[in-house]
Amino acid sequence: MPKVKVPRKSTAVDMTAMCDVSFLLLTFFILTAKFKPEELVAVDIPMSRSTKSFSDAITILLNKDGKAFITINESLTRLNMLDQMVEKYGDKYPELKTLTPLQKQFFSKIETWGGPVSELPKVLSMDGVQLQAWQKQMPGIPIDSSNNQLGDWVQAARYATNGDIKIAVKSDKDTNIQPVKDVVKDLTAKDIHRFLLVTTLAGPGSADAGAAKDDKK
Amino acid sequence: MAEIDTSGGGGKHKGGVRSKKMSTRVDLTPMVDLAFLLITFFMLTTTLSKPKAMQLNMPKKTDNEKDKQEVGECQVLNVLIDTLDQVWYYEGLQVAGLQKTGFDPSAKDGGVRKVVLDMMKKVPNTCPLTSKGNKRDAIVLIKMLKGARYKNMVDILDEMDVTGCKIYAIQEPDPIEVEAVENGGTVKTFNKDVVQETQK
Repeated sequence: MPKVKVPRKSTAVDMTAMCDVSFLLLTFFILTAKFKPEELVAVDIPMSRSTKSFSDAITILLNKDGKAFITINESLTRLNMLDQMVEKYGDKYPELKTLTPLQKQFFSKIETWGGPVSELPKVLSMDGVQLQAWQKQMPGIPIDSSNNQLGDWVQAARYATNGDIKIAVKSDKDTNIQPVKDVVKDLTAKDIHRFLLVTTLAGPGSADAGAAKDDKK
Repeated sequence: MAEIDTSGGGGKHKGGVRSKKMSTRVDLTPMVDLAFLLITFFMLTTTLSKPKAMQLNMPKKTDNEKDKQEVGECQVLNVLIDTLDQVWYYEGLQVAGLQKTGFDPSAKDGGVRKVVLDMMKKVPNTCPLTSKGNKRDAIVLIKMLKGARYKNMVDILDEMDVTGCKIYAIQEPDPIEVEAVENGGTVKTFNKDVVQETQK
């Protein structure tokens, strides 16, 4: 009997097409990716079952000690906000009027601000290393009703974006309720009534499990 | 190619030097591996870092009578949250009838979720109609006592979402309520003039 000859085929597959597709996808994901901004303020946010996602928001951070910070993603908005604040507080703190355009540019690079307005000239004349050191121990934005700087910052942000910005409150889950109430009061005083409370999505049952654990405490 | 042939002939080819034919194919497998690895990385980082948020609307101060809502004593459920993650609740103005529960819906008493659900079932049937002849709905007044944690506020707002309670408001607790919680549910001085105004 004659043997059936099986033609030997190469096992190598042409990878070019696959390579094309994968790099196309890779380019897409790289371009659409938005990296998490560097978190200068450690905040452990609570869980909820809310699935609403948001963008274009200015974020008010409240850390465990109840200090307030403000984060804005757009550098242009930050620049406009600074101008607003200089206009507003210029009479109270004359040094603010002496800020150079270069210093204002420097401010537009700072994503998270967490200090009283009076510290602006000092911080803006720092160099990168000093700034990093300062950012590790920011004193927080004053939130008393007598010195409502947080409200002014938020209002400045709303002017800078023509009111087209959402206000997100990102607070640590162990933060005392009092600073949260203060922030809400500050902003309602500035006629802002809608807030987004930043939370993470709880898996099925995990929120309940968390509550049960807390009950045992 | 650019070298000068110094071998002095003897070869078969006269004149031109024929370069060796090499395959132009490159093994692309490692490149594809790398590309997919990066794709996976970017996919995971982009989808996971999207923050979620819950909407909180605070009432506007208004003097306009039209915007104010008619509130009956029977439709109000007061929920107080203390520093120990405990929930205290009472209906209407009966601060003296303060009861304690927790957040856990799988607990024996069903937690605050059951309290709210019961209230929502009860109010439309037992409360008298409004002056316009509409049925009433339960109103939950959330009061965070001093020192309570932010997490509890999110938890109770979440419960409002779970139960589908439409009308709720966050308020400052009255001194009498603070006193009641501090005394473990009993009130010595019952103050009848607890003013409560609610708006959605």
